Amino acid sequence: MFQLEEFIIQFLLNFVAREDLNAFLRNPQHTATIVGSLIAVSGALLGTFLLLRGMSLTSDAISHTVLLGIVVAFILMGSLFGQHPDLSSGWLIVGAAAAGVATVLLTELIYRSGLVKQDAALGLAFPLLFAIAVILVSRVVSDVHLDEDAVMVGEIGVAWANTNSHCLSGCESVTITPDDPRAEMTRQCTNCRNLGISPRDDKAEFTTICTNCGDYSPAQAWQAGFTRQEPVLVFWPKSITVMAVMTLLTLLAIVLFYKELKLSTFDPTLAAALGFRPTLLHYGLMVLVSLVAVGAFDAVGSILVVAFFIIPPAAAYLLTDRLPRMLLYSSLIGAAGAYSGYDLARGNLLGVVHLSDILAAFNNLFGLGLSEQWDSSISASMVLMTFLFFLAAWVFSPKYGLVSTMLRRRNQRRSFDDQVVLGHIHRHQGRAAESDELTASTLYRHFRWSPAKMERTLRQLAARNLVQIEADQVSLTDHGETHAHQFRQTQLTNESVGELST
Amino acid sequence: MSVLSGNGPHDDANTALEIDDLTVAYNSKPAIWDIDLRVPEGVLMAVIGPNGAGKSTLIKAALKLIPRAAGTVQFYGQPYEHVRGLVGYVPQRGSVDWDFPTTVLDVVSMGLYGRLGWIRRPGQSERESALHALEQVGMQDFADRQISQLSGGQQQRTFLARALVQDARIYLMDEPFAAVDAVTERAIITIMRELRARGKTVVVVHHDLQTAPEYFDWVTLLNVEIVATGPIATTFTPENLRRTYGGRVAYLQEGQQIAGLEKE
Repeated sequence: MFQLEEFIIQFLLNFVAREDLNAFLRNPQHTATIVGSLIAVSGALLGTFLLLRGMSLTSDAISHTVLLGIVVAFILMGSLFGQHPDLSSGWLIVGAAAAGVATVLLTELIYRSGLVKQDAALGLAFPLLFAIAVILVSRVVSDVHLDEDAVMVGEIGVAWANTNSHCLSGCESVTITPDDPRAEMTRQCTNCRNLGISPRDDKAEFTTICTNCGDYSPAQAWQAGFTRQEPVLVFWPKSITVMAVMTLLTLLAIVLFYKELKLSTFDPTLAAALGFRPTLLHYGLMVLVSLVAVGAFDAVGSILVVAFFIIPPAAAYLLTDRLPRMLLYSSLIGAAGAYSGYDLARGNLLGVVHLSDILAAFNNLFGLGLSEQWDSSISASMVLMTFLFFLAAWVFSPKYGLVSTMLRRRNQRRSFDDQVVLGHIHRHQGRAAESDELTASTLYRHFRWSPAKMERTLRQLAARNLVQIEADQVSLTDHGETHAHQFRQTQLTNESVGELST
Repeated sequence: MSVLSGNGPHDDANTALEIDDLTVAYNSKPAIWDIDLRVPEGVLMAVIGPNGAGKSTLIKAALKLIPRAAGTVQFYGQPYEHVRGLVGYVPQRGSVDWDFPTTVLDVVSMGLYGRLGWIRRPGQSERESALHALEQVGMQDFADRQISQLSGGQQQRTFLARALVQDARIYLMDEPFAAVDAVTERAIITIMRELRARGKTVVVVHHDLQTAPEYFDWVTLLNVEIVATGPIATTFTPENLRRTYGGRVAYLQEGQQIAGLEKE
């Protein structure tokens, strides 16, 4: 990871000055937007396949159980190597991926017993693993930074502050050993805590330890005052690298295995018959979901991760019926949600509405003493914005939106009404009871329609030159005659004949 | 178990599909029981039997899509894994989600994925093969149609085109005639006969007893066990049918009614 960051920084420094790069990354908005967008894009890409496989909620399960992988890996690393890794460590990521696969395996195992339904099996498996993780966190890993807030909504707002420092020049690393003159030595009681005694007790035993010994990177050495010359540094937020790697892996997998993923999603049976190992692809997809979930866990918390997997694909599904476009649209929607979500957290809704103005208006109107400072959770605001985009797609999608569906149904109903009236006239024209059945002003009674509806329908038919009304008697024009005849031919016969004409 | 004595190509040259002692069970309840079946090359064979007789199971087990409890299956004297390219499979059309965001042409192209192997994408020549297959089933005008807009019969023809494009030597079709319109039924049977004329072998899970003698030249009667198998003229007898359906005459009458309707 570190080398990768070095590489990216060197590349970027061809275009921007170091000071500008540092200033850019130190802006919480920039880092939060970059990290949020990367989560959104990788989540949207994977979520598209999950949605089409009818397993969107698996991402919710996995985003929780990766915690178990993280904790177990953390404990193993601590006891085996005496290390305390952070979330960008490779082993924690391996642990998370294993936990994701374990979740799916356990779910399948429970489901295969045939005693529990699929959704319940998922609901049995993941809380179990999550509960174990929570107990391990609270009992074993007491000094790890995993508080409830972090699990709930993440720390994307402070992602800019958790950096690796990369030294460009004037780099002087320092190692302080106990015999170094700069070492700070202090006495510490070794058995006080175990025996529950005070250091003043006679039985207290002491040892001398060094409080500032260890390796100092150039940045730390400068900060601690061990070096004279200020090193030239770039501070690179770790979560950008983590999410960039996850996003690249996701992109690579989807570009390489697009055909296989599509086939095994649409028709797993054929995929198996052609030798494409749908089970392998399934677990591969789950590993990717776990990787993105663990990367996102740090930034947006385990509860909101699922929104990045589900909402953008659900919106894109309403906007297109081609898979490549669905992947593209859902990525764009996810990224737009992350970008505008940051602004919303600061009270700015798409640059149109400023929530602090609304609060001020409320204060003026009702004399409420509300704080006019708007500063809410960034990750929650990102989810909210993404949902707003979904809402827009749901209502206004040209093909599958609520509005277009309603309009289409209304048009169908109207045109069907037209046909019913035409058919009625067609059938009764030239019959004995003609005058009663075809009286324009009373026709509505035969249909049990409202007079207004009949009037509207007749007016439209007359306007289209399909009927004529003379002395309150309705009759078909020649054009209307042909039209009614054609309708009988095409619509009132069975499907097979209809298909012949296509 | 005669195949064990001769694995050379000449011994099996006339056998497209050989099944020995095949048993498949769902939770210890046998779906098919100790099946021995030899399908000669170049026949158009119906697999006929009542609901729950294991017809689809037989096909899926032959393709290793479900685990076998016992038995061996060989296509042209080889296990399926070695000859995937020779076998075309048409699943039941209800087995997939027709709201999937893709086009008819794309679905047909999927038949070529096996030949392409991993990672390689279909290109212009695959597109042309797929279009040609769509033409064969009379669906060329639907190539760019979203698949959710298709009628049941059009869906079935799309699946058939997807199998045709594989250019296999033996085709296994799971209920291609189920709930399709007359046009599609005629299109499918025409294509099956063309395939047979080109020396291909076609195995079809079939439901309609009335049309079976007209459509097929070979038949396997199945009810968990094999009741009879052979040329349709000598095998598709009332006696064998009674043994297959266990005297459920109502089914035969229903079949008659369907046939009667179609003659209108």
